[in-house]
Amino acid sequence: MIVELFILSILVFFLGILVPLVTAARDQRVFRTAALGCTIIGSVVLGVLSLVILLTGQVFSWTIFQPFAAFSLGFSVDRLAAFFLLLIAAVSGCVALYATEYIEHLDGGSRRNLLCGCTNLFILSMLLVVVSANTVSFLFFWELMAGSSFLLVMYEYTGPDTKKAGIFYFVMTQFSTLFVMLGIVLLYGQTGSFSLAPAGISFLSTAAFLALLIGFSIKAGIIPFHKWLPYAHPASPSPISALMSAVMLKIAVYGLVRFLLDVFSPELWWGIVILFLGTASAVLGIIYALKEYDIKAMLAYSSIENVGIIFTGIGLYVIFTSYHMPGLASISLLGALFHSLNHAMFKSLLFLTAGSVVHATHTRDIEQMGGLVHRMPYTSALFFTGALAIAALPPLNGFASEILIFISFFSSVAVADPLLKVLLFICLALFALTSALSAACFVKAFGSVFLALPRSKESGEAREVPLRMLLGPAILAAACIILGVFAAQIFVLVGLSVPMPDLFLVGLLLLAMAVLTYAFLFFTASRDVRIAGTWGCGTPSQQPAMEYSGHGFSEPIDIIFSTVYRTKMKNERKFFDRKNCIFAEGTADISLMKIFEEYVYLPVARASYHAAKVVSRFQSGCLDTYLLYVFCTVIAIIIYLGWLA
Amino acid sequence: MIDPAFIQDVIRVLFAVVIVTAAYIISTRNMISLVSVYALQSLTLVFMALALYSLEGTTVLLAIACITFASKVLVIPYFIATIQERIRIKRDIEFHFLSPTTSLLLSMALMLFIYIALAHIMEGTPGRESLFFFGAVIGISLMLMGMMVTFSRKRAITKVLGYLTMENGVLLFGMFVTELPFIIEFLIIIDLIILVMLTTILTVGLDSTLEDYHNRLHRFHLVEDTEEGP
Repeated sequence: MIVELFILSILVFFLGILVPLVTAARDQRVFRTAALGCTIIGSVVLGVLSLVILLTGQVFSWTIFQPFAAFSLGFSVDRLAAFFLLLIAAVSGCVALYATEYIEHLDGGSRRNLLCGCTNLFILSMLLVVVSANTVSFLFFWELMAGSSFLLVMYEYTGPDTKKAGIFYFVMTQFSTLFVMLGIVLLYGQTGSFSLAPAGISFLSTAAFLALLIGFSIKAGIIPFHKWLPYAHPASPSPISALMSAVMLKIAVYGLVRFLLDVFSPELWWGIVILFLGTASAVLGIIYALKEYDIKAMLAYSSIENVGIIFTGIGLYVIFTSYHMPGLASISLLGALFHSLNHAMFKSLLFLTAGSVVHATHTRDIEQMGGLVHRMPYTSALFFTGALAIAALPPLNGFASEILIFISFFSSVAVADPLLKVLLFICLALFALTSALSAACFVKAFGSVFLALPRSKESGEAREVPLRMLLGPAILAAACIILGVFAAQIFVLVGLSVPMPDLFLVGLLLLAMAVLTYAFLFFTASRDVRIAGTWGCGTPSQQPAMEYSGHGFSEPIDIIFSTVYRTKMKNERKFFDRKNCIFAEGTADISLMKIFEEYVYLPVARASYHAAKVVSRFQSGCLDTYLLYVFCTVIAIIIYLGWLA
Repeated sequence: MIDPAFIQDVIRVLFAVVIVTAAYIISTRNMISLVSVYALQSLTLVFMALALYSLEGTTVLLAIACITFASKVLVIPYFIATIQERIRIKRDIEFHFLSPTTSLLLSMALMLFIYIALAHIMEGTPGRESLFFFGAVIGISLMLMGMMVTFSRKRAITKVLGYLTMENGVLLFGMFVTELPFIIEFLIIIDLIILVMLTTILTVGLDSTLEDYHNRLHRFHLVEDTEEGP
């Protein structure tokens, strides 16, 4: 039955690729709906398959053909793979449901058919990465995922922002593939096989780990390899942003976990490196998110923060494993995996509702929004649910997974090494800071976008989106609540014992408190009606410009972290006289310094450019020059054979 | 039965002839004599193959001598000389990177260098002092001297002769060291004949340089001009 379900889901996704490609020239809704219908059906089948494997614990392996002894094309699904398949299925289905309506409001004519086809290809490639039974097919589908996602990012290919985002994304994603390939080649050098089998401890396996860690970190958006996210997410259509952020980043997480569990024998310092990367990404990600006013870029930075949290959990798992503390290691890994699922749910919810808001207001600048809670009440309720979940407020799912990582941190007092203990407690403090800043970030986001008065004409004229654009996010919002409130019960259901509080009881307590507070205020508050205008600096009426803006809200936090933000001031003045006494005209500009871009990416790019210029001299020579190179090479070989070999 | 020591002496003399012809090919500006010297060098290889045959009795060496004589002593030199006569170029005075004198000095250093390198490689092996060792040294040196001709001369015809000299080096090396299968030798000869023919056609006359080739194509309207004028 499992094989049949697997083949069925692949075939349905494949049909979803073929239908829009065959009808690429015909701009008709029916073909797009059919393709997205295939995505929904495929996702449901995939969801059922993964649930069966998760609940029964069966392992499904299927070898299609074996061209030579060291390599076979085959698939394998165990509980870990099934967990990520469930994540893919849940998000893909909801995104496809949303996209059936959203895509009809996009520009591009029949190009939208291709968008549907590429979306299915993207989902299929992610699915096949997860089920790959060996490293070669893993790499092949990994590259297919990179290629198809690049095409999706480039949907609005004429826009200058999209072109920049596309180039950035393409370069970074190819670097990711390069490092993953290097890791796989090194592993082959170590084991002589392409299978996902234990590699032992050696220099080669350590080098392979580092290469794979960089490759997966680039794809997951870990700082300092994160820069493609804030470009690619705003440039893509919202369903694609949701898929990339919620699912594709998790495929990188899956890769790291799979290799750590099945291939490597991790050492302590590996865990410290992963923990350091995770904590730095979590803290810096949310600090940058606070400063963003493009709603999709803000969500992209928030994704960096959440992937950082996941990496923190994985780092703790490696540390506790190397200290032979399996209980704590399991809790950390479960926390990381559960947060992957939860982040997929609330981040796709937030991206989809943000897409609805952008669709309604025609802007991504949250300072141009405001007052949407009255105009888009359902969307605002859904966004609010996502904001509560991502801010890790109980009893929603963000809290449920973060509490597991907190429990691991608190339990690290049992670690014997005092230095490591100090490091873990510093990381714990930063982790707690991240949670607080995350809450502040989404208070700002929700307040600026939905509350107060509209700050632009478009925002004032915004209308609620159609039903299907609410249905997909609504399912995700329900998932956020269920995965939080019933987290403990879900762990019991899949046969895992986790020392976490029963959030159902916590939820009931919170609900009772809210009801009691409301009842108390309702019965004790004065019934007198008082009418008084808010003080408006002496102006006769309230204006949107007088509202407490997002900039204003985040200003105190901006000041605290001003050393991280590093603003760049430009002041150009002209004077009438030579001694610069009489001022004529001038310009002043304060902008946020793109530290990683200016100090990491650009120097690397410049160095590559200079290296390429040197190399290009070899490329553009005449025939005689090439013959001279050959001559010199032959001489070099003779020297090597004569004296060095 | 001829005395093997005598044959070995003959081969040593032939080595000297090969070196002298290679030095001439590297240094001469006279293109008419260039083809003749190439034919002489090839004839020397034919004698060398015959001498080796009389030492070892391998029939492949006899076949190599025959085919080398037919192709490299008769067909290819005749073909190039005929075309050379038609286009009436007598001197090659354009050089890249190395002048003839420098090339000559460099080739002397090169031979010494190859000798030392091979001596290092074959240190302790019984064949170090044998004829085959010298065959290998001369073969590799001839190959590299041919290569020097290909990159230091601008005329296409001289480049072709440099390439042909390289192939003579490979043949010499093959005869003394590796014993290439006869079919490979045969295919190399076919390649050389085709190379000479193609070079003749592609350079639109053997009097051109390769850099001039593109201009000629434009002049003869063989390709469209893609660059737009101001």
